[in-house]
Amino acid sequence: MAEPELLLDSNIRLWVVLPIVFITFLVGVIRHYVSILLQSDKKLTLEQVSDSQVLIRSRILRENGKYIPKQSFLMRKFYFNNQDDGFFKKTKRKVVPPSPMTDPSMLTDMMKGNVTNVLPMILIGGWINWTFSGFVTTKVPFPLTLRFKPMLQQGIELLSLDASWVSSASWYFLNVFGLRSMYSLILGQDNGADQSRIMQDQMSGAAMAMPADTNKAFKAEWEALELTDHQWALENVEEDLMSKDLDLSGMFSKDLPSGIF
Amino acid sequence: MASISELYDVTWEEMRDKLRKWREENYRNSEQIVDVGEELISEHASKLGDDIWIIYEQVMIAALDCSRDDLAWSCLQELKRQFPDSHRVKRLVGMRLEALERYEDANKLYDSVLQDDPTNTAARKRKISILRAQGRNTDAIRELNEYLEQFVGDQEAWHELSELYINEHDYAKAAFCLEELMMTNPHNHLYCEQYAEVKYTQGGMENMELARKYFAQALKLNNRNMRALFGLYMSASHIAANTKVSAKVKKDNVKYAAWAASQINRAYQLAGRGKKENKCSMKAVEEMLESMHITMS
Repeated sequence: MAEPELLLDSNIRLWVVLPIVFITFLVGVIRHYVSILLQSDKKLTLEQVSDSQVLIRSRILRENGKYIPKQSFLMRKFYFNNQDDGFFKKTKRKVVPPSPMTDPSMLTDMMKGNVTNVLPMILIGGWINWTFSGFVTTKVPFPLTLRFKPMLQQGIELLSLDASWVSSASWYFLNVFGLRSMYSLILGQDNGADQSRIMQDQMSGAAMAMPADTNKAFKAEWEALELTDHQWALENVEEDLMSKDLDLSGMFSKDLPSGIF
Repeated sequence: MASISELYDVTWEEMRDKLRKWREENYRNSEQIVDVGEELISEHASKLGDDIWIIYEQVMIAALDCSRDDLAWSCLQELKRQFPDSHRVKRLVGMRLEALERYEDANKLYDSVLQDDPTNTAARKRKISILRAQGRNTDAIRELNEYLEQFVGDQEAWHELSELYINEHDYAKAAFCLEELMMTNPHNHLYCEQYAEVKYTQGGMENMELARKYFAQALKLNNRNMRALFGLYMSASHIAANTKVSAKVKKDNVKYAAWAASQINRAYQLAGRGKKENKCSMKAVEEMLESMHITMS
């Protein structure tokens, strides 16, 4: 069935497509600043800071242990991994999973997150649907099945219309996700207007709580450290060094800059 | 007296960028900072915008170094006015008290900061510096050890501790601290060289071997480290002069020492090129190397 090419009024482009883009963008920027205003300070405990640094030290030991003598490496590995009183074996942190019910600050954080992100999206989506209804806005460049028709062609009651022609509401949702990269360009990484990232966070929310994972992190480090061996990087350093003359360029006072500028 | 901008013919932007470079690379050239910074804040304050606060901080610390209490006080006033309840500004207040040797007041101030925020590292480090300024090295070492137990990743602190241990002649522990630093900064030739020097000072065949290896590593990371080159020469000569080593080890070390000596000669040759006295200085270098030759008594 040959599909008739619909010619859309260019006014649609001027008065519908572009305004929706602007509206979405401005709402996103406003959301970003509002989320900054409503942000509560996250205070870390001494123990959390200390634990995170210990984990970093153990990781550095694994990666760069080859630069220190074998004896020193073994001494540190022993300190961490010893059967009876190695640090990773001995330390058990009290783990309180931060569920929303018990932790009041988490609850307010969640509410703020919902208010700033989900609510505006629903409101504006509904408003756009009501204002810009009854006509086709744009065409998606790929063919869609008929199943998508009721979803994407909200106000249009034409049975024979190709599902690729969509209404303004779907154009709005397209914008919300599409402008994400624009936000990181203008507002910098980690901005409050980044909706899809927030939704991802909410979905994997429970699994991401760092404090609960300290014990698991320790166990993982213990295993990784057990497997590491010491390959001294300095075995043949003299041979490497003396294979050629030293490069002494730029060493002498004539060549060096002097004074402040 | 001519201002910096006239002397060097630079604009205020260049002065500001130079200050930023000094800030980012942690230079301690306080007199230059005071000269450049003072002019920048007195003449060009309005053009600096929000940069001015961090420049105030930088200039204030440099002024304390140069005993310019007037400048330090005025910078501090500006900062206190802008950031009334800031821990960072409180640290600067404390530093000024330390400069005036009012250690009790400074300690009280830092304690109040720590009560408010137990994770504040700056206040704890200042308290340790007070102990060091008062000459109480053993107390400083103890406090620093406790600090490092909790903040294992603080490299500045590890370095300070290694320096304290060297002052107390506890070379084994100083070596431990330097090992931490070498692990976190494997490409820094200065840590390798310091570690090698500590090992050399400890003495003993094994330590001497390690010292030679780390001097060589320092040279590999930076070919122009003369101190490491001399260190290599000395440690190799030391091992070679020892009667209890095997013939192969002795031969290797003699070879290393000879290579190091030739490189030293070459360096002095290059340094003196174009100068008339080069021949005399080369002879002096030869004699110096001869005098450094180790003989077992």
